[in-house]
Amino acid sequence: MSETHLVIAALIVGTLTVRLAGAALGQKLPSRGGWARALNALPGCLILSLVIIMLTNGGPKEWLAAALALATAVITKSLPATMAVGVVAVALLRNFA
Amino acid sequence: MTIQEETTVTSEPRAEALRGARDIAPLALGVSVYGLAFGLLAAQAGMNSLEVGLMSSLVFAGSSQIIAVERLMAGAGAVAAIVAGLALNLRLVLVTASIRDVYANRPLWQTVLGAHLTTDENWALMLARRAREGQGGYWYLLGAGLVLMAVWCGSTVLGVVFAAAIPEPRALGMDFAFTAAFIAISRALWRGRADLGPWLTAAALVIGGVASGLVDSSWAIILGGLGGAFYAGLARPNGNQ
Repeated sequence: MSETHLVIAALIVGTLTVRLAGAALGQKLPSRGGWARALNALPGCLILSLVIIMLTNGGPKEWLAAALALATAVITKSLPATMAVGVVAVALLRNFA
Repeated sequence: MTIQEETTVTSEPRAEALRGARDIAPLALGVSVYGLAFGLLAAQAGMNSLEVGLMSSLVFAGSSQIIAVERLMAGAGAVAAIVAGLALNLRLVLVTASIRDVYANRPLWQTVLGAHLTTDENWALMLARRAREGQGGYWYLLGAGLVLMAVWCGSTVLGVVFAAAIPEPRALGMDFAFTAAFIAISRALWRGRADLGPWLTAAALVIGGVASGLVDSSWAIILGGLGGAFYAGLARPNGNQ
């Protein structure tokens, strides 16, 4: 087995294990009280964390494009419109600013 | 929205799956650009289209595939490549745990298939729809996930085959597509004042963690998600929950 095949096999087994572990863990936690409040808050906190990490990988141009995308999201509440504004803004800023 | 177990509406599976497949389209476009870029990287690492197709369909976690192949190319060795890829995927424990109602009371094969097809993109899309319309569950997630799988496999394999002809996605701004998408989805998930404390906690932990150099970005995401959820769990419940 080559190094590449070993990595592929380990990632297949490991990733499915991780996904199923979460699904199983979720079933075990109580559906009322603090645990439920924590699980309900988890998605927003995770997505916010992802966005912040993505933005820390960029600079002022990406931050400005992100601000424009956020304004679009607040005004239009549209996913495609927000994506379009973000991508066009960052492309223009990188190429012309 | 309070406890999701009680609010999930069960519509017809086929209609829900088709709706998910349609709603994921703009995100799938972004995925295809990443797929081409990954295929190009994998070709440079000496992988063929069969290896890439198998990896894409059975691992089905783009960022971990990219980092693992990048580590291999950097000569870090198989163990380092596996650890880096799996560390990046640990947040998926939280992703699938947070939508536990989706997998509840299903035959084992449906749970396994649903969990395998859960990614950041269709998970977030389903949550955004729930926040807006109060519906969206297993079949919506599955329909969107199948489209993502087809697009991811197709584009990564095309990336290997046409490695020489692919433009740099950064110049086109396409690398920003997911950042913008997750900004839109964050906006949809904002439930009002009660989220302020958890979200500030998450943001402070992520920024503090990365800025201090104590954690790398894949751990910072987990730290932020857990910290914000922990705050919400400990905060005094207001209203009816």
